[in-house]
Amino acid sequence: MATLIGGIGTSHAPTIGVAWDRGQQKEPLWAPLFDGYVPARQWLDEVRPDLFLIVYNDHVNQFFFDTYPTFALGVGAVHAQADEGWGKRPLPDLPGDPDFAWHLARSLVNDEFDPTICQEMSLDHGVLSFLPLLTDSDWKVPVVPLAVNVIQHPIPTPRRLYRLGAALGKAIASYPKDRRIVVFGTGGLTHQLHGTKFGTHNEAWDNEFMDRLETDPAPLSELSTQDYMERGGTEGVEMIMWLAMRGALGRNVKRVTRNYTAPFTTGYGLLVLET
Amino acid sequence: MDDVISGAYVFTGERSARSYALNKMANSLSTPANRATFQADEAAYMTGLGCSDQQIDLVRRRDWKGMMEHGASIYLLLKIGAAVGVPLPEIGAHTAGITLAEFHARKAH
Repeated sequence: MATLIGGIGTSHAPTIGVAWDRGQQKEPLWAPLFDGYVPARQWLDEVRPDLFLIVYNDHVNQFFFDTYPTFALGVGAVHAQADEGWGKRPLPDLPGDPDFAWHLARSLVNDEFDPTICQEMSLDHGVLSFLPLLTDSDWKVPVVPLAVNVIQHPIPTPRRLYRLGAALGKAIASYPKDRRIVVFGTGGLTHQLHGTKFGTHNEAWDNEFMDRLETDPAPLSELSTQDYMERGGTEGVEMIMWLAMRGALGRNVKRVTRNYTAPFTTGYGLLVLET
Repeated sequence: MDDVISGAYVFTGERSARSYALNKMANSLSTPANRATFQADEAAYMTGLGCSDQQIDLVRRRDWKGMMEHGASIYLLLKIGAAVGVPLPEIGAHTAGITLAEFHARKAH
């Protein structure tokens, strides 16, 4: 039987990938971010997961507005890297897990979540910016990606994401093969890219969000999309993907590590929870 | 839900529809070959993909604020920026109506 061993909430950003590729891990501006991932990586080395289920958002790299899915599930054996406009990074394609992914598709649809099923789904910095910080970049752990539209409104509600998390937990619990699974929610934290407040973030709300997500997440799922945008910027709404991660874990969790830093336009958060 | 929140544009479906041709052109810049064709003759490339004279003019003037007001998504402006060598901070500062130095000062707090 599959086991959900924990959850990771993490920000993603193109700049994280650029800094990583340039070897800036120890530079004063970047060390507070990269050092924060070291305990998370140590935990992963100890608990030995063999599957990552990653709830993330695409940034108009795999999908364009001609056909923009609200939820999309990558069921392929391999996930290519998307060219975001700067050319591809020196990373191999990611392995998928079609058997689990098709099980997840059946389980989600049975639970009245209806993702677009993608046999080819290229991944952008929404997954690839943080992943090398947590695992060897020869990608020993397969990834099943679940993309959420948080770009073109209307987008799904915070409550919908929290409930999606519960459905993910149910799908994992009903998977007959022995798999040790970590679920990710990635995005945010607060940032503002559209408009006059470009580059601003909200450190107090970022930290309050991580506090409450750990101990009492349900009320966070009752906030509106507009609440998230007013507190954390129009792009801060990506935080709702953390609700899916937390919703999968159930009531009782133990914190493994947490980190926060905001050197540029985005509040970079990291929260690792064990079941 | 509001279309503008705290001075920020919410990328609604209506906004997406209004700027569709410009966003579609920007989205095509995700291959090296298309970037090279665009760089060789921006206006011809944009015309070929159905962009309006207004959209071509906005790109010619590197009017990032104008492109965003027209409805373009920041994620597509990033692709145009990547093709013409303008990074996010410069685009963002322009859309916010501040200088790059003012943006960096904002981040120092």
